[in-house]
Amino acid sequence: MIHVRDLTKSYADLRRGQFVALAGISFDALAGQIYGLLGPNGAGKTSALRILSTVLRPTSGSATVNGCDVLTQPARVRHQIGFVSTNTAVYDRMTAWEMVGYFGRLYGLAEDLLRERMETIFARLQMNEIRDLLGSKMSTGMKQKVSIARALVHDPPVLIFDEATAGLDVLVARALLKTVADLRDQGKCILFSTHIMREAERLCDKLAILHRGHILAEGTLPELRARHGEEDLEELFFGLISHHDGEKERQRDGETKLPASPSLPLSVAPSGS
Amino acid sequence: MSLTNVKLIYLRELRDQLRDRRTLFTIFILPLMLYPLLGMSVFQVQQFLKENHSKVRIIGTAALPAEPKLIEGHKFALSVASEAESKLLVLELIERSEKSAAQARLDAESDIRAGTCDAVVYFPPDFAERLAEFRRADEERAPDRVPRPEIFQSTASDKSKVAADRVDRIIRHWREIVVEDNLRHSNLPAATARPFELVSTDVAEEVSRRAAFWSKILPFVLMVWALTGAFYPAIDLCAGEKERGTLETLLSSPAARSEIVWGKLLTVMTFSMATSLLNLLSMTATGTFIIVQIQKMGAHGVPLEIGPPPLLALVWLILALVPIAALFSALSLAVAAFARSSKEGQYYLMPLLMISLPLMMLPMLPNTQLDLGFSLIPLSGLMLLLRSAIEGQYWEVLKFSVPVIGMTAACCLLAIRWAIDQFNNESVLFRESERLDLGLWLRHLVRDREDLPTAGEAVFCGVLLLVIKFFAGFVAPPPNDWNTFVVTTAVFQLALIATPVLLMTIMLTRRPAKTLLLGRPSFLTTLPAAALLALLLHPAMLWLSQLIQNLYPVHPQVLSQLKELETLARAAPLWQVLLLMALAPAICEELAFRGFILSGLRRMGHKWGAIALTSLFFGLAHGILQQSLSAFVVGMVIGYIAVKTGSLWPGVLYHLVHNSLGISLGRISAEAIGGNDLLRLIFVPAKDGEVMYGVPATIVAALLAAGILWWLKSLPYHHTAEERLQEALDHQSDPLVANAAV
Repeated sequence: MIHVRDLTKSYADLRRGQFVALAGISFDALAGQIYGLLGPNGAGKTSALRILSTVLRPTSGSATVNGCDVLTQPARVRHQIGFVSTNTAVYDRMTAWEMVGYFGRLYGLAEDLLRERMETIFARLQMNEIRDLLGSKMSTGMKQKVSIARALVHDPPVLIFDEATAGLDVLVARALLKTVADLRDQGKCILFSTHIMREAERLCDKLAILHRGHILAEGTLPELRARHGEEDLEELFFGLISHHDGEKERQRDGETKLPASPSLPLSVAPSGS
Repeated sequence: MSLTNVKLIYLRELRDQLRDRRTLFTIFILPLMLYPLLGMSVFQVQQFLKENHSKVRIIGTAALPAEPKLIEGHKFALSVASEAESKLLVLELIERSEKSAAQARLDAESDIRAGTCDAVVYFPPDFAERLAEFRRADEERAPDRVPRPEIFQSTASDKSKVAADRVDRIIRHWREIVVEDNLRHSNLPAATARPFELVSTDVAEEVSRRAAFWSKILPFVLMVWALTGAFYPAIDLCAGEKERGTLETLLSSPAARSEIVWGKLLTVMTFSMATSLLNLLSMTATGTFIIVQIQKMGAHGVPLEIGPPPLLALVWLILALVPIAALFSALSLAVAAFARSSKEGQYYLMPLLMISLPLMMLPMLPNTQLDLGFSLIPLSGLMLLLRSAIEGQYWEVLKFSVPVIGMTAACCLLAIRWAIDQFNNESVLFRESERLDLGLWLRHLVRDREDLPTAGEAVFCGVLLLVIKFFAGFVAPPPNDWNTFVVTTAVFQLALIATPVLLMTIMLTRRPAKTLLLGRPSFLTTLPAAALLALLLHPAMLWLSQLIQNLYPVHPQVLSQLKELETLARAAPLWQVLLLMALAPAICEELAFRGFILSGLRRMGHKWGAIALTSLFFGLAHGILQQSLSAFVVGMVIGYIAVKTGSLWPGVLYHLVHNSLGISLGRISAEAIGGNDLLRLIFVPAKDGEVMYGVPATIVAALLAAGILWWLKSLPYHHTAEERLQEALDHQSDPLVANAAV
């Protein structure tokens, strides 16, 4: 469903000069799979997801979504995806019903089909109570529900969630994760970025640990645990990141490359899926 | 582009704005309340002004003649001032003063400043005596000097000016009475001093009079409110949406960037039109009401013959509102898209106003009339066309509507294109706030310099050259002799054009030679081709220059200065003139304009946009408007040669040949062509013994030039990375691609 090859993205930055947000990442996410992009803030998760949703253009490399190229066929790509961003942004002066309907019409859905889909989604996400509530009056949880409904309205095969649980309370976050799992069970390909280990552990079928624009490790959770000899994902994550930063620092200092930490037999190559 | 998506976005944005109380207040409520309130204030202020008394000190009342009387008691005599006039003046009378006029002036200065009085009238001690002497005088015995009373006022104080005006009117009236009195004493009829009465009759119909009055006000009001009405919704729809985070969601929807821009543009246009229209209607209604009230008061001495605007004027205004609103909406949208936040967006209103206001004010200057020249000036042309329509000059409207509408449409399309580009530019859409740190920014400029300059650096270079040119014009000594002219021109070309550009190239780019296009052209044959093209296009360029000078005549003073320079150049050795006025500009100006500036501007991804903007800078750098316009066209040709050949040198050759021909032509006299058959085929005598290209020769040369341009067009073109990206983006907005996606 999603195939990313050697994707790079750099920005001109006043302080840092040319800042490399993505340094040539490659991964594949399949249908019926939740692919997690796990990384700290500034790892490049949002840049990767914005490129896949055609909001940003890659500096180099390629990416296809359901067979459509993000650079040469962005209009087709946008029909294949539903994008839920981190900021739960909804229009302040539109009701939930109006907002979802607006995006459904932009996706070209016929009125009958749109109404039917909206009724189903509003019922499934328990949104009928906020149907006529203006965006400005909604809580963060309500807004995130509206964002999900908007992303689902055209029934896309691919869903992209960019730190979708950020700022949500435990109850709402839990409900959202359940919705994501249900969508996976329906055969959707889901790209889910997060920096919360527990979410990644519980939800993702496959994980890529992203740091400073590099994928440090990729695989299913058991694969990662076996490869790095660490049961706890948080420890594994921390170890990979510390090792990567240490390597970088040594390279900067001009030191000869030291052998990798014996506790972390590293292999950053994708495991092949 | 999908019209359904445009309509969907338009309706959403419209509904969104209509649900905003602030927008509703600004668009609908404010105009309806503003003008009645303003009208009320005017009445109040007028009332206040009317009741303001002026304190006037009159020094030397004892020196006034007994007859005719100026002062009676503590007031002006009824024969010189009406009761209403006297009521507004509080007089402080000083019978005698030993002070001279100079001393009285010093006292008046300090007293007016201190507010003790508003104006002082000084009658010299011998005033009555001299007046009587003057009365007795005949032609043989004319007195040495006319009696001179003085009014001291301070023009720095409005109050003082009003007081002086009031008292001046009264004393002038008194002088007329004195004249009549003198005539009576000399047994002459009063009509001697006023042998005829001049009667001025307005033959304009009332409707025309009203139209003429309103045509000067309403178009300006329409434009100012169209801009204001467009700007705030544009900020909310672009910068506001960025702030709220909803723009990212919209960008990931199937709506193409061009559809988003068109949808938003139509919304902004709707609000611009509504704001302008409501303000116009409210102002007209209030204005009419005030005029009617004043007319009613006219029975008591306030005559005013202006009524409400004719209905047809409103129809013309509404028709003109569509292109005006479209232009301002597109400009506002592009500017607002650049802003990171609503607050930042509001800062951009001022520059937009600073550019638009002079163009709106230009038609209000006296003696400004609609002609081809004005019709080609954005906004000014439209405003003059509108004025002519309101005044009922339909033939004028018909004559100039094509250039005015053409220019307005071109500006609209450019502004819309700019707005779409802004929405395609991710560095604009996702700009983040950064602390202003000059040191950091300068370090960034040098540390992160790229192979070629950025578009921003190119624009900065263009503006810098214009600023240098502006100040150099004041500092440079007037070219009174050839040597001064040589030094001034050489310093200007080498130190003020070439040096800053070379410094910027070295400091801001990693590949100076590539930036300045110093490599050899892709095809060496383009070198002679460029020289030949300059030769063949020169006649057409000269005719164009003539046409421009007919449209926009050069000011006689500037013309005489140019003539002086021409005389200097004609007297100097040809090789020196060619070196100075052809070779030096060909190298220095080409390095700047087709080198640094064009290389930077091409990074915007639009070849023609970059050429046009470079030519605009090149044109403006020529100082005189008429020269700027023809230099712009020459710049377009050289710019095209530069991008096609990838080298500066063919352009340098073109520039060199073009300037050399201009200089040489100035040295061919009409007599010289008389005896030469070949020259007679090419040239014809022109005014002042000069020569001009003949029309057949110009046409043949232009056709041959078109052939060379066609050949240049057929050469392979090397796109920049940015141009390739822009083409890909344009291809994505192609309707076929969009349809295929649905």
